[in-house]
Amino acid sequence: MIPTSLNAWVATPEIFLLCSACIVLLFDLFVSDARKQVTYLLTLLVLALTAVLTIQSLQQGLALSASGVSAARFAFNHMYVADPVADFAKLGMLLGVALVLIYGRSYAIDRGIFKGELFTLTLFSLLGMMVMASATNFLTLYVGLELLSLAIYALVALPRGNVRASEAAMKYFVLGALASGMLLYGLSMLYGATGSLDVYEVSARIAQAQFNPMLLTFGMVFVVTGIGFKLGAVPFHMWVPDVYEGSPTLLAQLIGSAPKLAAFVFVLRLLGEAMGQFGPLWGEMLKYIAILSLVIGNLAAIAQTNIKRMLAYSTISHMGFLLLGVMTHSEIGYAAAFFYAMTYVITAAASFGLIMLLSRNGFECENIADFKGLNKRSPWFAGMMLMVMFSMAGIPAFVGFFAKLSVLRALVDSGLTWLAVVAIVFSLIGAFYYLRVVKVMYFDEPEGELLAPAGELDAKLLLSLNCLLLLVLGVFPNQLLTSLSHAVNLTMAGSAGMMLQ
Amino acid sequence: MTLALFYIFAAVLVFGALRVITAKNPVHAVLWLILSFFTSACLWILLKAEFLAVSLVVIYVGAVMVLFLFVVMMLDINFEELRKGFWKFFPVAAVVAAIMMVEMVLVLTNRYAQIPGAELVEQAPTVQDLGRLIYIDYFLPFQLSAVLLLVGMIAAIGLTIRKRKNTKYQSPGEQIAVKAADRVRVLKMAADAPLEAPAAPAADAGEQKPQA
Amino acid sequence: MLESYFPVLLFLVVGLLVGVAPLVLGWGVGKVLGTVRPDPEKLSPYECGFEPSADARIQFDVRYYLVAILFILFDLEVAFLVPWAVVLKEIGLFGFISMMIFLAILVVGFIYEWMKGALEWE
Repeated sequence: MIPTSLNAWVATPEIFLLCSACIVLLFDLFVSDARKQVTYLLTLLVLALTAVLTIQSLQQGLALSASGVSAARFAFNHMYVADPVADFAKLGMLLGVALVLIYGRSYAIDRGIFKGELFTLTLFSLLGMMVMASATNFLTLYVGLELLSLAIYALVALPRGNVRASEAAMKYFVLGALASGMLLYGLSMLYGATGSLDVYEVSARIAQAQFNPMLLTFGMVFVVTGIGFKLGAVPFHMWVPDVYEGSPTLLAQLIGSAPKLAAFVFVLRLLGEAMGQFGPLWGEMLKYIAILSLVIGNLAAIAQTNIKRMLAYSTISHMGFLLLGVMTHSEIGYAAAFFYAMTYVITAAASFGLIMLLSRNGFECENIADFKGLNKRSPWFAGMMLMVMFSMAGIPAFVGFFAKLSVLRALVDSGLTWLAVVAIVFSLIGAFYYLRVVKVMYFDEPEGELLAPAGELDAKLLLSLNCLLLLVLGVFPNQLLTSLSHAVNLTMAGSAGMMLQ
Repeated sequence: MTLALFYIFAAVLVFGALRVITAKNPVHAVLWLILSFFTSACLWILLKAEFLAVSLVVIYVGAVMVLFLFVVMMLDINFEELRKGFWKFFPVAAVVAAIMMVEMVLVLTNRYAQIPGAELVEQAPTVQDLGRLIYIDYFLPFQLSAVLLLVGMIAAIGLTIRKRKNTKYQSPGEQIAVKAADRVRVLKMAADAPLEAPAAPAADAGEQKPQA
Repeated sequence: MLESYFPVLLFLVVGLLVGVAPLVLGWGVGKVLGTVRPDPEKLSPYECGFEPSADARIQFDVRYYLVAILFILFDLEVAFLVPWAVVLKEIGLFGFISMMIFLAILVVGFIYEWMKGALEWE
């Protein structure tokens, strides 16, 4: 009774990641506390090899589509799909997670969380994200999401003596569980309304009008609420600032970067593919969530003195932008949102990486005032921070500008010019607090002793490359944007083709 | 008959759930919760979902509630203090509950009463049906749930285990493996020489500090 | 369909009787035969002969929690084994392998917790 569509080889990256995560878990038992560098290097090796396998899968998908066959390869009885969108997202996640570990190494050693659990739980959370990116069944989507969340709750609570981290973990856990409950309730309603858990099957039943509209609408409301919680969009954003502020910076980086990509693909599959027919309906919901996120995120960020809280509110506003792209329910909109999420991973990694670089044992560089006169201490890293802030603010020639521009273009294309204007106005307001950091770094006199950036050479080097990448991608964004929009087109065409059958 | 049973169980369930949130003593609240779970299991039996009912009893009543009791007993806090917020938050909670209820009523009584998902339930899947589905069709979520359990283990151990440097414990293995030479030191000394400093007592192999 | 649960009902009734009957019996016999002469010392709560000195609610060692949560995790595993055992003959080799992979993942967890010393009670 082997299911005809097992095709397990399609999921090679995940299978490899799972096996090697188990090996790392067991291997770490034999590594003494003083030599955790070995586990660290092994973890990076696992990430690199998984990336290689993912690239192979991506090439295979692109080759298939070039030869006129659908790029989507299904596995595990139609519960898993490897298509270019999933593969690109996975590459972004792998990069995001690797950057967390590399930038956070000396930070973690200083705070006593450079332990085996840090690596294994990170690998398992990555597995959760990768499963989310490839899931085509509500059940798989949900289990992937829980895998991601559970691992991150535990990671945030890892520094046990730290009361703030425990509090952050508690808040994250309670609200995350609430969000999961909402989502699960919504998914169960969708199942009730259509009688299927399969993304394409649901979409087909909706197209053939074989569903219960009332139940479906309520289900959709709950699903959107759950997604809002997970993305941290207003009015479900309350946990974001507290969690960012309280958790160790390393984990704030993990929460703030790669999972956003997973959330984007999640939204794409659930709303874009399964409920594409109801685009206008959930688009309307997402529209208000997005506008509120832009308003609250940007206005509240101005009032912050703690840079991690400021970045948290900035994440909220960025998620607003991402949702603006999704809400148009057009291929160009999804491509813009995908590009936005992808570049946001890199930008967020750089910003948290810089914060960790300037922190040291017993001193958290987390107030904006701590950046005073950074230019005098280290002109190079002041320059790097400047690039990150400029990119987040959306100043031309940086990648953040181009990401915002592509979302705006999608909005204008969908005839939502007024929404584009609103987004521009709030981006301008948002630029204020990013530029304030720049002003503090360059024009304020340093307070107290002058601390040079700490951290290992490899982290510094990679961080510099990362920041330069923001500039490079800002000048030459087309390569990435074209690839991503090609991937989105393939996926959307694939799901349309699936419905015709 | 079934309908009467349903109403009896439902009434007990609602009463039990109410007592969970109104009980003064948190341990009592946990016991009421056990009653609620048990009655929901009875309701599921009425729905012919036997396996779910049994697993509800085994997992929730048997295991999760034990954990709840531990947690409730472990929390050394003043519960009267916590209770003060009850009426303050009551309006919000009531509004949320009311919205949920209205939604449920709307969903269940609307004119498109046909619910495709419900038809599948009508066919009353048995344990056999579940077994045929879980391990073959739902292979991927099934394995992922194992990973989820694994992550749960790692998380629980990572968050709670701590090595105590100062605990003393008996190690029977070492006690048995002890040799006479470790315990008794035979000193050769001239019978007429004056006594030197007293010999250090041999290390007691039975009781020792844990390594690391 | 509900009739098939009759043995379960019978079991529950017998279980309840075994639990409740001795209590009722003891109470009833005591009522008839015993004498009741209360005094404050007899009615006071007994705590090892001393006056109660502290609240009964004390902080438990977190290790109890660890044991409880590990128990839940393996309890869940057992819940997955039941339907598998019921249909093992039907689902064939693939079903068997499927469960073996599931168990292998959990065995990794078991080795981990053993080696970590989570099962030790010092």
